[in-house]
Amino acid sequence: MSQSKWIWGLTIGGTLLLVLAPLKLQSQPYIMHIAIVAFFYAILASSWSLLAGYAGQFSFGHMAFMAIGAYSTGLYGKFVRLTTAPTHICKEIPLGKYWLVIMNIYGNNCLEAGKANMPVGTLIYRLPAFQGIILGALMGGLFGLLVGVLVLRLRAAYLALFTIGFSEIVRVALNAEIKVTDGPNGLELAPLFPRGVHILGYSFAPTDKLPPYYVMLLLFLLSMGIMHWLSISRFGLFIRSIREDEEAAAALGVHIIRYKVLVFVITSMIAAAAGAVEAHYIGVITPNILLILQMSLVIAMAVIGGLESLLGAAIGAIIIEFALEFLRTSFTIGSVTVDMTTWRLVFFGLLLMITLRFWTSGLIHPLIQRVTRAGVAEETVAKRKAAEG
Amino acid sequence: MIELDVNNISKNFGGLQALNSVTFQIRGPELVGLIGPNGAGKTTLTNILDGAIKPSRGTVYLNSRRIDTLPPYQVARCGLGRTFQVTRAFRRMTVLENLMVPALAMHPTARQRDFRDKAMTVLEFLTIEHLANDYGRSLSGGQQKLLELGRLLMLDPDIIILDEPFAGVHPKLMEIIYEYITTVNAQGKAFIIISHDMDTIFTLSQRLLVLNFGELIADGAPDVVRHDPAVIEAYLGEEEPPEAMEETYLGKTEGDSKDA
Repeated sequence: MSQSKWIWGLTIGGTLLLVLAPLKLQSQPYIMHIAIVAFFYAILASSWSLLAGYAGQFSFGHMAFMAIGAYSTGLYGKFVRLTTAPTHICKEIPLGKYWLVIMNIYGNNCLEAGKANMPVGTLIYRLPAFQGIILGALMGGLFGLLVGVLVLRLRAAYLALFTIGFSEIVRVALNAEIKVTDGPNGLELAPLFPRGVHILGYSFAPTDKLPPYYVMLLLFLLSMGIMHWLSISRFGLFIRSIREDEEAAAALGVHIIRYKVLVFVITSMIAAAAGAVEAHYIGVITPNILLILQMSLVIAMAVIGGLESLLGAAIGAIIIEFALEFLRTSFTIGSVTVDMTTWRLVFFGLLLMITLRFWTSGLIHPLIQRVTRAGVAEETVAKRKAAEG
Repeated sequence: MIELDVNNISKNFGGLQALNSVTFQIRGPELVGLIGPNGAGKTTLTNILDGAIKPSRGTVYLNSRRIDTLPPYQVARCGLGRTFQVTRAFRRMTVLENLMVPALAMHPTARQRDFRDKAMTVLEFLTIEHLANDYGRSLSGGQQKLLELGRLLMLDPDIIILDEPFAGVHPKLMEIIYEYITTVNAQGKAFIIISHDMDTIFTLSQRLLVLNFGELIADGAPDVVRHDPAVIEAYLGEEEPPEAMEETYLGKTEGDSKDA
């Protein structure tokens, strides 16, 4: 079988496995939960890989964009309603026979007060989570644009410090604005499917894992597809040239400002979309998701998987998420009990250090390269021999 | 016709005047050598020409378009390409990918496969076609210089600036670079070549520009510049031109080359 057939076969086989496996595993909600969270981290790690591994933009603000997406949809769900009659108190926009009502963010609940002005039988709807997710992705992109423009001239440590600062500002602001974001208590969100899912004669409750699994899987496959397409297109070629040498790339005609900003916007949108879906799935989002430890986890997943490989970073994230969960089980050696809830992180840290020391390309990426560049080495050797001959 | 007009270019870095009212023109496919001692302002001038830094005073026009206010990528698209003193191959990209960058940058709607044949022809011309799928980092220093020259062929500019193309290069590769310059020049491209290799630059160039302390102290044919008292005094620091200046790189055998 040719090399490309192998790659296609593995891609289709892997996708089918991810689509079909939950049909067998849906009776094990814990496994399903880990899988959903693993896809969430896989999206974050792979999009960070595009930003840092491909474009060389070592941003520590990725979780901030994720949180912007999550909070955007959360606030959209908290403060925006669709009604069949105006309140005459809130800010409201007529939409045909409906009214888009935007509640006061700081003042009293105008919707409650406005109910007195509404005729009997007025319906008040929460807006679908999917609108919030799209809004969240757009907000992520907007902030990505802002940060992308601000960090244009920053490199290496300066870029890292700037984005850490940005992330901390977002975290502190979310903590401080208790009236808006519910602060450290966390912002509650409606489930992805508040009324459950009814399809092909099957019914799933709002708390069932299968529908959110497929939503997160869809987002994962979609984002991987988009990022892969970008990586093999001129976009991928240009951002890699920028990573290698900005001045040389510019001297060869590459519009470095455009591509540096674009990569920030795209990866921020993807991270924000993942954050929005995850927030709806979990049901609550707190500013603690922005702690530097969380960002470090995403970076570590990408590094262990392979920083310069979208698939490597994604697989690394999935394996590590499962490993971290399964390693929670403590065990006893003689009279000593090893508390794995803590020690698993030590092992994880060690794995990261060993990877950085001995396998800078990560653990998964070299395996992928063995498949994707299998023929290249032989071809090169043959050509070299021919040239020498 | 290729027209480069450099008008009264000056550049100050704080209190240091790196360039002072440098003026020259290039008309057509000239092969111009740019020489000068270390710190003379050669690289500063190059960086101004390619848009990497802006001049404090003066203007640069390429084919009647002002380019000193443009960013480097636009200067490249206007038709000015350059290499760097220290080789800047994209090390974690394959040789073929290195060549695709300028090709695609110059053609916004093209795809990589549209340029594969051209890229392979360029690599064959540079005798490194067997390295097409190798990463830039696995190439020797000389091969990386060839790769940079290949990228310029894909960029297809009107004027090519080569910064020290012969430095630290094996004589065999030097011949390839020499052939590259003469062949591409014969195809109608103008060159500005910066080099400290006096033998080669005097042989290769049709015209020499000499910078010293940021000022253009000579502009003329190599034979004229060779005996210019200002050049001899300021640049060479000797009263008579050294014998090496009378020789040519091509006139030597490979074993005689000082870079061997």
